[in-house]
Amino acid sequence: MVTYVLRRLLVAVPMLLGAMSIVFFAMRVLPGDPCVAMMGDQATSEALADCTRNLGLNRPLVVQYADYMWRSVQLDFGKSLRQGYPVSEYIGRMFPHTFILVMAAAVVAALVGIPVGIVSALKRRNPLIDYPLRIFALLGLSMPVFWLGILLLIFFSLRLNLFPLIGGGDLDGVISMIRTGEIFRYPGDFLAAVADVLHHLALPALALGFTLAATVSRLSRSAMLEVISQDYIRTARAKGQIERAVVYKHALRNMMVPLLTIIGLFVAIALTGTVLTETVFTRPGLGKMLVDAIGARDYPLAQGAITVFTMIIITVNLMVDMLYAAVDPRITYK
Amino acid sequence: MARFIRSRLAAVVVAALVALGLFVPADPTDAQRKKILNIAAKEPDTLDPHASTLGQSQAIARFMFRGLTRFAIKDGKVTTAEAEPDLAQSWTLSPDGTLWTFKLRKGVQFHKGFGEMTAEDVKFSFERQINKTPGTRYGVNLDVIKSIEVVDPHTVQIVLKAFDPIFLLRMAGYQQGYVVSKKAAANHDQFKWNPIGTGPFYFDRHSPREKVVLKAFDKFVGGRPQIDEVHWFDVPEDATKLIGLEKGTFDLLYPEATTCDFAEQVKKIGAVLDQWGPGGQQRFYIDMTHKPFDDIRVRKAFMHAIDRKAIKETMYCGDIARLATSVVPPGYFGHAPMNFPEYNPEKAKKLLAEAGFPNGFTIKNYFISKSFFYPKVLTLAQEQLKQVGINVELQVVEHATFHENIRKNLNPFVLYGGTRITDADPWLSLFFDSKEIPDPATGNKGTNFAHYRAIDDLLAAGRVERDQKKRAAIYAEAQKRMERDLVCLPIQDVSNQWARNPKRVSNPFDPNYGEFSLHYSYNYPEMLKIIN
Repeated sequence: MVTYVLRRLLVAVPMLLGAMSIVFFAMRVLPGDPCVAMMGDQATSEALADCTRNLGLNRPLVVQYADYMWRSVQLDFGKSLRQGYPVSEYIGRMFPHTFILVMAAAVVAALVGIPVGIVSALKRRNPLIDYPLRIFALLGLSMPVFWLGILLLIFFSLRLNLFPLIGGGDLDGVISMIRTGEIFRYPGDFLAAVADVLHHLALPALALGFTLAATVSRLSRSAMLEVISQDYIRTARAKGQIERAVVYKHALRNMMVPLLTIIGLFVAIALTGTVLTETVFTRPGLGKMLVDAIGARDYPLAQGAITVFTMIIITVNLMVDMLYAAVDPRITYK
Repeated sequence: MARFIRSRLAAVVVAALVALGLFVPADPTDAQRKKILNIAAKEPDTLDPHASTLGQSQAIARFMFRGLTRFAIKDGKVTTAEAEPDLAQSWTLSPDGTLWTFKLRKGVQFHKGFGEMTAEDVKFSFERQINKTPGTRYGVNLDVIKSIEVVDPHTVQIVLKAFDPIFLLRMAGYQQGYVVSKKAAANHDQFKWNPIGTGPFYFDRHSPREKVVLKAFDKFVGGRPQIDEVHWFDVPEDATKLIGLEKGTFDLLYPEATTCDFAEQVKKIGAVLDQWGPGGQQRFYIDMTHKPFDDIRVRKAFMHAIDRKAIKETMYCGDIARLATSVVPPGYFGHAPMNFPEYNPEKAKKLLAEAGFPNGFTIKNYFISKSFFYPKVLTLAQEQLKQVGINVELQVVEHATFHENIRKNLNPFVLYGGTRITDADPWLSLFFDSKEIPDPATGNKGTNFAHYRAIDDLLAAGRVERDQKKRAAIYAEAQKRMERDLVCLPIQDVSNQWARNPKRVSNPFDPNYGEFSLHYSYNYPEMLKIIN
């Protein structure tokens, strides 16, 4: 197992370096000068020249590339051109916002998608149940997250005034209270801050989770269809077990293996979704940061964000592969 | 089974939504006690007042920083044409006009215990810009300074290279004029997000991509502000800002662009637009070196083809903007009204025919920014130019790309806007001095998009002239020459605007041009008051 993980990690290194190189050159291919983007209409020729020199953008591209790669392997992604924060610190502050959004969306997707998929598979011969559930899946697959997000905002925030319009709540405050131990001194404040974060999280998680739920439900349905046609399910039924026991004890666990396969894909879709979700809900996070960084031609920040996205996807895929062995004892790694 | 799952699922979703939706915001007593001003704007790129040219960064800087002088309050109005004492209590000028001696106000405190402001801080504040500390942007505005001497902790002498007619305006709390704490700003990188000034609010914290929180400064020299906290939210979209204003999430908003629709929405929800002059002027520069615009008849035809009034009314109906009357806007020293070719498509066609273009011509690959006012104004102009046979094939690009391309001289005429210190010298120097002609070969990224060279002598003369009447005459002559050469067609002077919920926040100045300002915001944020 350890050898397998090490081998996978070794393969991940060139993959990561390749992704970083592509991002580096893609950012340079984009037209637009970061200094002009920073200074806007008030840029003077002298100020622009100073800015270009100070940021090292006047150096040959090859030198900039070599410098970037060398620093990156030392885990130094540089500083945001626009705001001056070290990129790693900036990403570190944005990551929790995106992490809780992806997690919450995953919970929504799992809570909605898996039961819908299972019911749809089990009741596939009942059009009154199967068809609406398939329409639900189709809607989720075809409805862009930004559009659903806007609908949710209009209905729940504007019409009903139940949810906040923008922001992510004071997550920084929550993290700070945990880190400094204030959580124990002011448990009431802590709970209020957590509730506020959840209050801000609900609609974005629902929007992102719903679109993911559609994918999950389709995959759960096909996984369940495959499992319930197996011999051991027939045997279980022949033994006289009730349907609930057949589904829970035998079918559900076995359908987890094909479901796990898509978790890697799921994370990629979710991360892409956060870019739109965070923008629509004006939430802080890696996705919104990436969009803004590209718009402002903030090279180090955009490069850092995409590197992190790549690392997350590589890590999640590795973890999924390892989970196979945990879920299915027949699978071992050498 | 299915029913079981459905019922559990429905229960979970309903319970979660109801619980979260009906959740009462945290700590209501705290919210009631504190007077919090919620502002929707874009996120500043830095809080170092010398380091950003972006509107939102300059606007928030005024909440935290002050200068030796400030824009004067006269008859209940703020004027940017005159300066009055602020951190300096008085000053004198030597007879030769090159030595300014400033007496500093005593007891002015920096935020967060950084001590009393002294002459050392003033010297440092200007020298860090003159020495071009990386990231600072306004050193060029202090090029007139030869040296700075600290006479005693409360006296500073500034020696100029030559007399500067607008030096007191340069010392105002705006861009290069802000005084920062030497001790805090010595570490330039940290200062970006840990700013220490003497203004009415101090920086508390920054949650990137979400908000900046400022708190009232108890020891502010003008007295503690009534507002306890300012929450500056990062809200890029104007539509979101408006919804937030209507719902009470925000009290003030700084729009990306104010249009008729925007103004109507503001009015409809019962808010007011605080409008400040002189605002930004939007204008067309015609590159007189670019064929066929090297022919003055073509330039004149271009101007006859543009219906400025129609553009102004479509973009900024009513008094949101004023039809431009000169390339130097009213409110700037040296402004003199100019005459421009009137809107007359027939005359335009005739001139084009005379110049050898009876069927007009086509401008391919014309680049225009997708941001701000640019695409809207250009689309209107495109339609008007088409009527006389000038076809403009637009390519809408990112704002950064637009800036890059216009500095590569790719557009034969350039739409551009801006605000500067309200005097003809810096304004004309930046846009019409031959030193500012953009040139990709030399890397010059200046803003003289007309490639104009005919007023260099007047600009040089104006800089050394001490008699204000004579200066005014020099700039009037400059405007006359530009009227003759037809190199720039100003369209409209657009006021700077913020929308305000008057039931929540009061401002002592008349919303309708009661203030002139240069930093796109309130000159005196300490005078804003939360009403309830």
